[in-house]
Amino acid sequence: MKFSALGSLILAVLLAANARAEDIVVIVNPASAPLSKEQIADIYLARNSAWTPIDQSAGSSIYAEFYKKATGRDTAQVKAIWSKILFTGRGVPPKQLLDSTAVKKAVAANPKAVGYIEKSAVDASVKVILPLS
Amino acid sequence: MSSKRRSLAAAATVLALYALAAPADAAIDDYVTFSGFGTLGAVHSDYSDADFIASVSQPRGVGYSRSWSLTPDSDLGGQANFALTDQLSGVVQVLSRDTADGNFKPTVEWANLKYDFTPDLSVRLGRILLPTYEHADIRNVGYSLPWVRVPVEITYASTATHSDGVDVLYRLHTGAVTQDFQVQWGTTQLDLPGLAFTLNSAHIGLLSDTLQYGDASLHLVYQQTDPSQIPPGRLRMEGVGFAYEPGPWFVSVDSNRTHNGYFGTLLAWYVSAGMRIGAFAPYAFYSATHQESLGWSSLTSLGNQHTVAAGTRWDFAKNFDLKLQIEQVTIESLDDPASFANLQPGARAGDKAHVVSLALDFLF
Repeated sequence: MKFSALGSLILAVLLAANARAEDIVVIVNPASAPLSKEQIADIYLARNSAWTPIDQSAGSSIYAEFYKKATGRDTAQVKAIWSKILFTGRGVPPKQLLDSTAVKKAVAANPKAVGYIEKSAVDASVKVILPLS
Repeated sequence: MSSKRRSLAAAATVLALYALAAPADAAIDDYVTFSGFGTLGAVHSDYSDADFIASVSQPRGVGYSRSWSLTPDSDLGGQANFALTDQLSGVVQVLSRDTADGNFKPTVEWANLKYDFTPDLSVRLGRILLPTYEHADIRNVGYSLPWVRVPVEITYASTATHSDGVDVLYRLHTGAVTQDFQVQWGTTQLDLPGLAFTLNSAHIGLLSDTLQYGDASLHLVYQQTDPSQIPPGRLRMEGVGFAYEPGPWFVSVDSNRTHNGYFGTLLAWYVSAGMRIGAFAPYAFYSATHQESLGWSSLTSLGNQHTVAAGTRWDFAKNFDLKLQIEQVTIESLDDPASFANLQPGARAGDKAHVVSLALDFLF
């Protein structure tokens, strides 16, 4: 009895940990061509203006995890890079949308948009081009 | 000058009104974005025979005039970006920092309209910052710099910060290499090395190419300045810089050589490296300026000095960083060493200044 309670606690903790470390996927419009991991890094580090990157909220864990995995940068480094673009008049940082639903909607509406969402949020309105695990 | 300022102000007002007149059914922040940056910096020098300065054109610094000060590194900037149509955008930036006049009177750093013919081809018209050296166009945005300030030596021979005119930006993708070409032409004002603090109006032309391959970038620039007053005649400058920034660490090198009949040939360069350890980013650099050949002036060893520096950046909160930098600057000649003003009779070649800087950078 005691053992099984402990067992379910462990299982619950493991599940929770798994949910926190959920896979992120990079998405584009179903009509768009795929992009390589290097191209995605370039787009999110302001080196490729042909695409429109879409961000999640800068305070979210998916934002921090995406940049770490896709570009190898932490959030302060990313902020420094985009503030350089902004204050040199070359452009403005990506729009930050509230959640994965909003990102999906924006990507589904724009063939030049790139976004990232939790793998579990994927549906037919977008195309997965890169899993980040 | 004042009429130019007035017309810039008028342009800014027109931009603002245009943005305000944008369709009322959309949120205003779809059309205009406000942002700002600033630095609160304190600097101390133990060398009392001259003033250590944070930018070449500052008339006063620390060491001789006072032992520490907030004025050399502190600044505040505000910017408005206007998205007028999908292709047409505008930007206005106002900056307050200690300048050649020795005051914090705000100046318009940017005021231009940008038209994107394609995502890779744009033309800008108005006041545009000059990318004369690596980080030149963000020299006042402490948050975007790895150090407290751009090594002063590299900035020595060209004090022009912006030009009023036109530039063309073209981005070329060749396989995995992206090249950003920039051609700029306009008029500017510059403070010439070794001379009194007088601003000379000048025609300026600049060509630059930045090659990016993944985390590696190579920056090539040629700048030509024709001051309206003689001496010194045309200044030609060519610069080469390289940076490799994979994220966990970085290394960067920048250099430029300036040719002028009056001043001769000046070489400036630095090498810097740093790394990222959690919220900290420690760094070091070595920086030097050296007169390679004489011009027809009597000025020898113009600007000569070298700096060894170490410091760290600490990202302690969102949109804030704190930097501590310690440097030793060696004066190699008394002819206008790059980091100093107000040289006193007691100053000697070979003297060393020890400088400590603390800077709080922020974005808003």
